[in-house]
Amino acid sequence: MGFFSKLFGGSDDKAAQSANQVFAPVAGQCVPIQEVSDPTFGEEILGKGIAIRPTEGKVYAPCDAKVDLMFDTGHAVSLVSGFGAEILIHVGLETVGLKGEHFTIHTQTGADVKKGDLLIEFDLDAIAAKGFDTITPMVICNSGDYADIKTAVGQAVTNDDVVIELKK
Amino acid sequence: MKTFTHVIQDPLGLHARPAGMLAKAAMGYQSKITMAAPGGEADAKRLMAIMRLAAKAGMELTFTVDGPDEDAAAEGLQKFLAENL
Repeated sequence: MGFFSKLFGGSDDKAAQSANQVFAPVAGQCVPIQEVSDPTFGEEILGKGIAIRPTEGKVYAPCDAKVDLMFDTGHAVSLVSGFGAEILIHVGLETVGLKGEHFTIHTQTGADVKKGDLLIEFDLDAIAAKGFDTITPMVICNSGDYADIKTAVGQAVTNDDVVIELKK
Repeated sequence: MKTFTHVIQDPLGLHARPAGMLAKAAMGYQSKITMAAPGGEADAKRLMAIMRLAAKAGMELTFTVDGPDEDAAAEGLQKFLAENL
C-alpha cells in the first residue's frame, strides 16, 4: 500500500487506483490479446492488453476514469484512467459495421465514471448470430509510457477481477 | 514544414483500426505530425488523440509535418492515407 492510498484513507478502492490496476470490463473468459484474429489487436498495433470472450452483454468501467470518446456507434469506448492510462475497449471485431445496431450507450464523451459504472449494453446473441466475433479486446493505447504491463489471462473474470496491472 | 489534406473515403470514418494504423505509420517518422479535423487537432502519433477527433467519411483532414524527415513523412503518409483511409 503506497503513500497515496494512505493519504486517501487506504480503502481497497483507493489502493487499487494507486496500484494502477485495470479490472475486467465485461464478464467472460480472459485470453491473451494474441488470440484476437484481427491483427490490429492481435499484433498490438493499438497497444498491449487482453481480450475477453464475453458471457454477458454489459461493459462496465474497468477503473475510475474520464470517458475520452464514446463512439456514437456504441461498439467501442476510450477512457483515460485516474492514473493516466489510455484504455480502449472494443466490443467484438468489425462491429463498427453494425453502425450502432444491438448497442445501447450508457455514458457520454467527457463523463467521469467510477469503476463498475455501466458504459455500454450489447445484445451478445444477436451480434454473434450475425456472424460477428464478439471477442472484446481492452488495450492500453499508451503502452509505451509503462515499463511493465502485467496481464491476468486464462481465467473466467467479472468486473471485480484485475486483468491488467501497469508499472511505470 | 509541409502540409497536405486528405478527405476520408472509408465509409465508416476514422474508427479504431485506421486510427491505430495511422498512429503506427506516423510513429515511423521523427517529424512532428499534427492533424486537424472539424473536431479539433491531434498529434498523429497518439492513437487516443486521433480517435477523439471522431472524424467521419467525407471530412477533410489537414496534416502538418515538421522536422528533419518531413519530405519522406509527407510522402509516406499521403501514400498510407490513399491506400487505407
